[in-house]
Amino acid sequence: MRYFWLSFKAVFIKDIVTELRARQVLPTMIVLGVLIVWILRMASETASAGAVIIGPVSLWIAILFSGLLAQERSFATEQQQDCICGLLLAPVDEGTIYLSKLLVNVVMLCIFEVIIVPIVVVAFHLDITAHRPALIGVLLLGNIGLSSVGTLFSAIVELTRTRGALLSILVLVILMPMMIPVTFALLAIFNGIDDELAGTGALAFVGSFKAAVGYMVAFDAIFVVVCWLLFPFVVKE
Amino acid sequence: MRRILLLAAFVLTLSSMWIALTLGTVEGPPANPESPVRNIIYIHVPSSIFALFCFVALLTGSVGYLITSKPGWDILAAASAEVGAIFAIISNLTGSIFSRAEWNIWWTPSPRLIFTAILLLLYIVYLILRSSLEGSARRKARICAVFGIVAFIDVPMVIISARFIPDIHRPGFSFTSSWQRAAFFLSMAAMILLGSLMISLKAEILRSKARLEEQTFS
Repeated sequence: MRYFWLSFKAVFIKDIVTELRARQVLPTMIVLGVLIVWILRMASETASAGAVIIGPVSLWIAILFSGLLAQERSFATEQQQDCICGLLLAPVDEGTIYLSKLLVNVVMLCIFEVIIVPIVVVAFHLDITAHRPALIGVLLLGNIGLSSVGTLFSAIVELTRTRGALLSILVLVILMPMMIPVTFALLAIFNGIDDELAGTGALAFVGSFKAAVGYMVAFDAIFVVVCWLLFPFVVKE
Repeated sequence: MRRILLLAAFVLTLSSMWIALTLGTVEGPPANPESPVRNIIYIHVPSSIFALFCFVALLTGSVGYLITSKPGWDILAAASAEVGAIFAIISNLTGSIFSRAEWNIWWTPSPRLIFTAILLLLYIVYLILRSSLEGSARRKARICAVFGIVAFIDVPMVIISARFIPDIHRPGFSFTSSWQRAAFFLSMAAMILLGSLMISLKAEILRSKARLEEQTFS
């Protein structure tokens, strides 16, 4: 167990230090996120839907696409000068490499959200004072789900011709069922869920905020375990 | 002998499809008898079920390959994905036509329609991944197997959405006559036969392709 923590910490610190020194990913994520929010803010001026709907949705879209940008770099940097070979030759379990990379991506997304959430709140005049813990919890669960699949597939796309373009479709298609509870939870936090929401829509089936969080926890647990188990098959030669 | 068996299976498939559709036209569907496209149900439901069955075959092939590393499993997964994509397209298209005729909408974001669309997208993305991978055949097969297994996580949601979640679809349909039931199950059997035939033909093509590539590079 001690060895696991040591190797986990070593890979995690390596990636964080690399990012802090190179500052390649975070600035790109923030600029993309701000652009997405800005575009949707402009579009929402003419839309009949209120800010309480477009605001949370634009926040989730910004997180999704900026997150993909971060995850794409996860293994792209390891490909330079065959760093991945060094990493795999080191006496570190492949599963540990996956878990540390996953944590790096979650941390990156958290830092990104610390910047983007206030921007969304200001742009859409949203009120989060009463729901801060719920928002933090939902965003954290969303980050884990997004990063679990993204980290595994960022290793896969390095072996393809199209690379980054493929990562977005691979991750988004797998995460589609998770989009429904995440969207529901974010809308519920900002009071964007209509009281009369019922019937046969996808959001209506989630039902309540509690149920949405339950779905997210279940998806996160399944995705993390399955991706962790399958990661060694992706990287082994 | 193999050719005769293939021909027999092909004839059996066509004849059972023809009987099922004729019987369906005569007996009418178990759904709304006034619907103008009522008989589409004899194609739509079996193709939806077979599209799901193909994903089970894809998962079996993927798990089998990761355990044994035998190319036969990978070929099964690839063939199932291609055939599954065709059946998922049929299912989505016929569902859309039925929806337009029955409810006056082409598509609505109801759980079952969303998850059926996701099923089609999963097949398409699997095939895109397969065609864009580089490296050795073994590595390609391993990566595709990994994607096949992760993608299968979404499949229970398709089944749950179809069975347990309130939807634009009716909760279930009942047969008014035993002939209707016979027509439905015959069309189901015909679709399974057709799909299995397509999987075996595609698998044969992939096997020949692999042999050819082996001979070219050796």
